[in-house]
Amino acid sequence: MSDTAPRNPVSAPQRMADALLRSMTGTSALLRVTGANADTNMSELGLVATTFADVVVSPVVLRKLRPTWKEAGESKWELMISATGVQQQVNALDLASAQALFAMTLAVTVGDQDYLIESIASNEAFGQVYLYRLLLRKAHQQAV
Amino acid sequence: MQNAKDSFYMALRNRLAAINPERTILLRGTVRPGILVEEAEATFAQLPTDVFVVRWLGLALDMDLASSMAAEECEILYQTCGTQSFGGLDRGRCLSAMDEELKSMLQPFFTPKLNYTATPPAAMLTNVFWDEPALASAVVQRDQLSRSAKVTVYSYQEQGE
Repeated sequence: MSDTAPRNPVSAPQRMADALLRSMTGTSALLRVTGANADTNMSELGLVATTFADVVVSPVVLRKLRPTWKEAGESKWELMISATGVQQQVNALDLASAQALFAMTLAVTVGDQDYLIESIASNEAFGQVYLYRLLLRKAHQQAV
Repeated sequence: MQNAKDSFYMALRNRLAAINPERTILLRGTVRPGILVEEAEATFAQLPTDVFVVRWLGLALDMDLASSMAAEECEILYQTCGTQSFGGLDRGRCLSAMDEELKSMLQPFFTPKLNYTATPPAAMLTNVFWDEPALASAVVQRDQLSRSAKVTVYSYQEQGE
């Protein structure tokens, strides 16, 4: 029996990933992105606060990676993000790609905890990304 | 000390813009000369290639003089993977080009000290000066060549600093 539904079969992995993320207590994450700053001299020296915006992506699932003991090492976390959620924000911000969005992300907030991005990977099927996996580590507390 | 650090960076930045205007970086939505202060940017999982990264390390003070003098150790790191059009086979030449640019950026070995917290930046009474760079050996990491250079930057502490 063949699937004669008019849906685009290429997007099936994306829908399945979204459904799985939602079913696994999928929550949302905030990407703190930087805006362009007109006064480059001052911002290059860390003298003026850059403008920030929080971009919400969902559904996401955060998991702690299997601990491997290392002297003075920190735990690492993996954030699995729906590719459709990322694509919505890429379109909303008029960016060229998801990589551009992650490149301008200073920190990722899940719950009340900030994380820094260590690396970015993606999973593809039928030539389309259905899941982004960000390797994160906890950010240190900043002064108020 | 911060005024000296700011003046040193701005001198290098402006000299680089004149030496090689094509060496730029897109950072925080702005295209700017290809040099940055590591402590004034978001943390990098990997340092960017084909730009100079200024990192401040040691600090020493000489208070036996009429004016206190601060000496700050600055490390300038740079790395390259070569260019796409050469398939990365020109990475040695690219590193040499960056070596030359660094040498030119650091000359002359002084710059006026300015206070960048004022708008426009206010000139101070003394200069910031530095010694010749100590270049480390090139480090080969697969397809990437990197080098660091250390410079000691000196400045007199002025009133109000």
